[in-house]
Amino acid sequence: MTAITEKDFKPVITIFHCINTFSEAEALDLSGDNCEIRSVKLACSSMVKDVFLLRAFEAGADAVVVFACPEGECRYISGNLRAGKRVERVKGLLDEIGLDRRRLALFNIATGDTDAVKQATDDTLEVLKQLGPNPAA
Amino acid sequence: MIVAEQKPLAEIKASVAQYEKLLILGCGTCVKTCFAGGEDEVATLASALRLAFKKDGKDIKIEELTVERQCEDEFIQEAAAAIERNDAVLSLACGAGVQDIASRFAASPVLPGVNTTFIGILEKQGLFIEECSGCGDCKLATYGGVCPVTRCAKKLFNGPCGGSQNGKCEVDPETDCAWQLIIDRLKALGQMDNIKHYIPPNDWRPSGAGGPRKLFREDLVV
Repeated sequence: MTAITEKDFKPVITIFHCINTFSEAEALDLSGDNCEIRSVKLACSSMVKDVFLLRAFEAGADAVVVFACPEGECRYISGNLRAGKRVERVKGLLDEIGLDRRRLALFNIATGDTDAVKQATDDTLEVLKQLGPNPAA
Repeated sequence: MIVAEQKPLAEIKASVAQYEKLLILGCGTCVKTCFAGGEDEVATLASALRLAFKKDGKDIKIEELTVERQCEDEFIQEAAAAIERNDAVLSLACGAGVQDIASRFAASPVLPGVNTTFIGILEKQGLFIEECSGCGDCKLATYGGVCPVTRCAKKLFNGPCGGSQNGKCEVDPETDCAWQLIIDRLKALGQMDNIKHYIPPNDWRPSGAGGPRKLFREDLVV
């Protein structure tokens, strides 16, 4: 896990995930001294409404990530594509709010690819090193 | 439907900044179907505003409510208590709804959250286009269901201008030439005779040129 150098900053990352991409057991593995992981399980990543992503920031998340199935592998055909569109829209909203779009990201994760999950988390923590805590938390 | 588009967040934020308690009032009819002002849009906007103000160190209280329509009193009155207990109302209804709320609750500031644009249809996923200008004297029967008032840039009633190319309007090449559409449609219907007689200059008074219009239906009054 990438180390966060600011001593008082323990990032909170909320993960919205399709049940095919990720499990609560993996969430427990990712949480630790360096960060807190909150996970929200969805039947399909397309269930992420704009408001859910924003409310995660209201609830104190420093970053929000969405784990969706790879393109062409959504069991509901285009759910992951819908999730992608919504994430883009909320990224725009985050810029308008002044929170920076980089706090939100979507990663396409194949079932059981724990390496990809760890990489996505590391990438997010790396971004948070630059952005710091959520100023609206 | 009446098609509207939500105002930029910065504009909305500036208009509500002076209030401590805000009601965001959505409308469940036209603006819901064009994704500008229904329940989902109310919730998203409320969350975005709370985050934006929190970032500035202000803790604004936002109540969220959506009624079926903001253009009818029986639905507007469902919001009466919520309007009363807040400092201002941000209405996501079309301009008619905003004014209807404002006229019934004179003591409450009622602010618009969307820009009302046109009467239109959902042409395909994500694309809303204007099809009716509300001219008050519908001639669609003559023109095979294609409106020259709305869809012809020059509002021509007696044939094309001759400037179109490949079925596209010379004023806007992204727009289909309405007269191409009219002729194609009348040919398909076998009704080309419709445009063989002269249509005189239009009386535009029913279209709103003389101020706000009214329609009174005495037969509906008990």
